[in-house]
Amino acid sequence: MKKFLLTCLFVAGLFWTLSTYKGLADQGQFDSMVLNFRDNLSPAQVDRELKEITSKYGLEPNFNSAFSKGDNLYVVKGNTQVLEKLKQSKELSELTEYVEANYVYSTDFFGGTTPNDPMYKDQWNLKAIDVEKAWAKTKGKGITVAVIDTGVSKVDDLKSTNFVKGYDFVNDREDASDDNGHGTHVAGTIAQSTNNNFGVAGVAYEANIMPLKVLSASGGGTISDIAEAIIFAADNGANVINMSLGGGGESKLMQKAIDYAYKKGVTIVAAAGNSNRNAAFYPARYPKVIAVSATNSTGEKASYSNYGAGVDVAAPGGAIVRGKNGENGDLSGGILQNTIDPKTKESVFRSFQGTSMASPHVAGVVALIEASGVKDPEKVLQVLKQSSRKVADDTLNYYGAGHLNAAAAVSLASQGQLGIPDFLRWARDNGYLSPRFWVDGGAIALIPKLIMVIGSYLLAWLINRWLPFRWNWSFSNGIFFGGAGLFFLRGFYLFDITQLPFRIAGSSLPDLGNAFSNTNALNPITASVLLPLGLLVILLGHPEWKWFAMGSAIGTSACLATSAMLAPQMMWIGDGLPAIAFLSVNAILCFGCAYLSIKSETANI
Amino acid sequence: MNIQIAGTVEYIDIGPGTWAILSDTDEQYEIWQPAPEAILQEGLKVTVTAKVRDDIMSMAAIGVVIEIEDFHIV
Repeated sequence: MKKFLLTCLFVAGLFWTLSTYKGLADQGQFDSMVLNFRDNLSPAQVDRELKEITSKYGLEPNFNSAFSKGDNLYVVKGNTQVLEKLKQSKELSELTEYVEANYVYSTDFFGGTTPNDPMYKDQWNLKAIDVEKAWAKTKGKGITVAVIDTGVSKVDDLKSTNFVKGYDFVNDREDASDDNGHGTHVAGTIAQSTNNNFGVAGVAYEANIMPLKVLSASGGGTISDIAEAIIFAADNGANVINMSLGGGGESKLMQKAIDYAYKKGVTIVAAAGNSNRNAAFYPARYPKVIAVSATNSTGEKASYSNYGAGVDVAAPGGAIVRGKNGENGDLSGGILQNTIDPKTKESVFRSFQGTSMASPHVAGVVALIEASGVKDPEKVLQVLKQSSRKVADDTLNYYGAGHLNAAAAVSLASQGQLGIPDFLRWARDNGYLSPRFWVDGGAIALIPKLIMVIGSYLLAWLINRWLPFRWNWSFSNGIFFGGAGLFFLRGFYLFDITQLPFRIAGSSLPDLGNAFSNTNALNPITASVLLPLGLLVILLGHPEWKWFAMGSAIGTSACLATSAMLAPQMMWIGDGLPAIAFLSVNAILCFGCAYLSIKSETANI
Repeated sequence: MNIQIAGTVEYIDIGPGTWAILSDTDEQYEIWQPAPEAILQEGLKVTVTAKVRDDIMSMAAIGVVIEIEDFHIV
């Protein structure tokens, strides 16, 4: 009994919560009201009413557009409270077909990909790699990018970026803060906090940054520290390594570290170097490292960028025209990120140029590729090369495979490995697929459906109390399909495709009769004792399926009873007392069938 | 390894910026910091004796890094 009371309390609580849930219908923003006067009103009557609104509420109705005149459609602007009063006016409701809030629609609902960072407009480089389309698929979540550099400081626009444990190999400590400004800038290109209404954006802004400091405040560091950092990254879960550094000669120590990381599945990206020379510098020159040359805002090779042997791909590195004094030139062609001022250590936005700036674009796109499912470094490089925009007549190999293209890379990487997110995106792109739409769009009356599900299980539970039987899988399925079915499928629409399959698949037994017609009014043939009774007659001889039939009788009983109480809408019968009577009688009959069949079953045991 | 270079000091605007010597034979060398303050002037003609730091990589990545041991302004 205690259990029963608790269940009743739970159901009552759930019902109260749902009934007080306002839904999307009341949540929109509006600053105006739409008045649609009845078409049979004379212009004089409408005019009088409009004047009345002006004098009484201080509001001035206007036509919505030049096309609205014939429809008597007016829009009244004003604050929400006044508009609410207007809505409640009895006189107005008699003269109009409807008065409703003129909700402001926004593309944000569909998850627009243009970020709201105010300085994003200055980031020509992100547009150049077509990253917005890539963001529609992934933002690099779950991928860790190790930034082997001068360290990374958590400046203002890295506050919502995820960091994982790093290390400072220069000072031998865990805190790998930046004292130069280079590493923070590079980390910003990879994963600057984006869509945070502040500063600038980054390529893979949901990826994690692992800060590894190997370069001192003056920007140089030893090969031994760099090699150790590579091994640290590989051992601590980094998926990608970015090295915006170069110089020195070939080093066995470094080669070994790179081989080690590569074998562990880490994709390594490095800057080709900045001396306009024909060959990438080390470490970019190692065969297992992706070497990145730099381009300017018009897509041409930046004057400083190395090229030729070893260059795998080109990415924006920027080109800055300095003034004569070295400072006040045109910085718009540079790569703009948030970093620190090396002297004051304060957070600043700076434009830099260099293959150092190009490399993190590639590291960011690699993070997006890996988040799309391609993780093997060799395959990552393949995707990167195949998706790049080829440059014709690149005789000196300025650009390697071509210009980096994030959208094409992510698209290529996700081919052949369609997952649930892709399916949902496809469904959203092809029609309406949004839980909020199901609930609020009127596609399904959610509350009655939930009551049907809960009610049918309660009924079954009650019978089980009186006549103990073994609850089994077929019985549960019967309850479910008798009571509610996969009702959410009825809210599923695809452009240009008939909704019929979804209506059928989303039907419970009583709903089946209206699946073929565009109404939610129940068909008396299916919304009756007939179907469960038929199922019982046919399936009673089957040891497993008879339980399905008994379950469906209980489910149908709950469904019909709920409909009788909440929405007695029947085809041919209407929605009045006859419908209520019909549904109630059939609900009782269904329950009776279920009870009798279960009783005879349990009597046999 | 020590080398002798004759060339011009220049400020290279790569990343946050760095100092270099462009040799008369058109080779670019990055000056390892800290370097003597007096040499860090744009356009200064110099001859230097420097140690090649091939154990070093840098964010500027403009070429060989040299640690200046001695220099003369020409």
